[in-house]
Amino acid sequence: MKPMTIPKAVAALLVLLMAAGLGAAEAAPKTKATAKATAGTARTSKHADKGITCAQCHGRAAKKELVPMQQCLSCHGDTKELAARTAKVKPTNPHENRHFGTEADCNRCHHEHAVSENLCLPCHKFHFKVP
Amino acid sequence: MSQDHFQEDQEPDQYTKQTIENGFSRRSFLSRAAGGAAAAGLFGLSGLPAMAKDAAEAKGPELATSGDGGATLSFLPKPKPIRDREISETLTFDVVVVGAGASGVPAALSAAENGAKVAVVQKAPFALSQGNTGAGIDLAASEKAGVEALVARLIADSNHRCNPKLVRQWAYHSGEAVKWVIDRAKQGGSPVVDQGSPAQRAILKVNGYSLGYVTSFFGPKPYTTGDGMRHLAKTAEKAGVRFFFRMPAVQLVQNRAGEIQGVIARGPDGKYTKFLATKGVILATGDYQNNKAMSDYFIPDVKHFGRKQLDKTGDGFALAYWAGGVIEPIGHTKMLHDFDAGPASMCDMPFLAVDRKGRRFVNETVEMSLLNNYLRDAENAGHYSQIFDSNYMTQAAAWPGKLVPPEGLKNYMPEDPGPKKGVFESQVNTHVAGTIEELARKIEADPATLAATVKRYNELVASGKDSDFGKPADRLIPVLQAPFYGIHRRVRVSAICSGMLVDENHQALNAEGKPIKGLYLIGNLGGGFYGGVDYPLTVFGLSLGRCYTFGYLTGRHVAKL
Repeated sequence: MKPMTIPKAVAALLVLLMAAGLGAAEAAPKTKATAKATAGTARTSKHADKGITCAQCHGRAAKKELVPMQQCLSCHGDTKELAARTAKVKPTNPHENRHFGTEADCNRCHHEHAVSENLCLPCHKFHFKVP
Repeated sequence: MSQDHFQEDQEPDQYTKQTIENGFSRRSFLSRAAGGAAAAGLFGLSGLPAMAKDAAEAKGPELATSGDGGATLSFLPKPKPIRDREISETLTFDVVVVGAGASGVPAALSAAENGAKVAVVQKAPFALSQGNTGAGIDLAASEKAGVEALVARLIADSNHRCNPKLVRQWAYHSGEAVKWVIDRAKQGGSPVVDQGSPAQRAILKVNGYSLGYVTSFFGPKPYTTGDGMRHLAKTAEKAGVRFFFRMPAVQLVQNRAGEIQGVIARGPDGKYTKFLATKGVILATGDYQNNKAMSDYFIPDVKHFGRKQLDKTGDGFALAYWAGGVIEPIGHTKMLHDFDAGPASMCDMPFLAVDRKGRRFVNETVEMSLLNNYLRDAENAGHYSQIFDSNYMTQAAAWPGKLVPPEGLKNYMPEDPGPKKGVFESQVNTHVAGTIEELARKIEADPATLAATVKRYNELVASGKDSDFGKPADRLIPVLQAPFYGIHRRVRVSAICSGMLVDENHQALNAEGKPIKGLYLIGNLGGGFYGGVDYPLTVFGLSLGRCYTFGYLTGRHVAKL
């Protein structure tokens, strides 16, 4: 993929922040380095840290959409394989359940620009650490 | 039943008139706005600050508005129409069902068996439902007076606020429908059984008249009606029904005349598919318990209760509302219970009951299905415990309900290492302890408070009179002999069972009481069947029985158009 120009990257990042519900009130990070400096807060991107651009997930359209789960799978692989890998996690397999089978939307628990959460709580006492 | 039962010269029935007058619809807003009243919809709701802004900015019908024009509902915003060039595929069927649950799957199969080409679009990755029991009346085993007596009982259960025509329709068609669901689910591989009349012991006679029942049981847990509907869906697929999973319906296709011609759904890839329906769209999308703003508005009573379901966001309400449908007035009917923490057969037995802290709060002859009303605050949030001592098998033997012996209670104890059977393991919450204080800690109550409550309760028992709550003397047994038992129940929202205005064909009516061509609403989206504060537990499985019956009838009706 062609590297992004700086103005484009800034614009994309702004859109990204807005999509994450963070609002545009904060000053936009001028460079990737600034974005990195906020690592550890909700305003980070683990993917960006690995050199993945906004557009690789959010697309190139002017209006950035929420990322469909299929986009996650295009890199992370098949849901059934993932469920097989976590089959022995106690007390239950987080990637296969009665509500969604193996097809729970990744974004329900795993957040890219906010703190991840455990959708099982508080109905079930399944205390997972969600990366 | 004629297709268009409403005629210009015929007054709508009492229920319909009331719902049109006080419910939520576009016309009621538009007509009042046109008359100059409250176009911006100022209102005094607290806790929803975003709505004030929305009201100030309300541009005519972009936001839903209450029947009196006084409230603007930001949680039902009108979607921006999806343009044809955004549609990646268009498919044409006779009947399109939205939602693969306990009414949607039967509707689809019923339509297919009556010759229709049917599609089901479903938000989840498979068919879904909850609960185990579905009920119908076996007409061959019932006196007509018995059927009418039960209808009268159910109308009373709904505080006389339901549409009696719909209750009668269930009464006279449910036996046939539930039998049909059992048969077709078995064909799909389901272990479903008909428990018949024995499952309905309390209503074998009503007002002295005899009744018989068809009682479908999809169980025991962890097998539920969800698995049952997946088995039924297999039969439906064999009958030619096409299922489209992971495709939430986002908009209806409506022409200028107001007729519904299809539905647009979004696939997992984010692309839109247009499903055209030549005969009709049947919405079976369930309730809105997971839509917080909508719940807070229509049924604030459930604000602090947990939810049993996921993703019940009221999608069909928004779709039908924007098509001109009418949402039932505020004061919706709720269903809250907990059959999982301990034995279901002991849930209504009048043992000492204490709130989350350990205080007695009620005359315990109040049924579990109503206890939520005492536990609506944020602190209790539906939590309470039933407390009894080691003599319960003998001392409560004469009470209605069915006692489970100590060995059987272990099945409901998270601390017991033995294998569990017929329960959801993560939901069991029964405990045993040598002292009241220890029991209090296990049921997460305050030990000193529970000890004081038990002491006081034992005094009342010894006196032979419940001078605190007036419970009958034969329902007073002491809590003296260790080990002590506690069933920590937490009632959560199983369903909200009020919906939108329909006629006897389950066709949506608009604010003039006229049917919206091509639009049908069933399951918990369909209104008029209840109306009380709480879902009644008079007929075990009424809710699922109603879903099956109206799905069965509506699928057939629309297929034959």
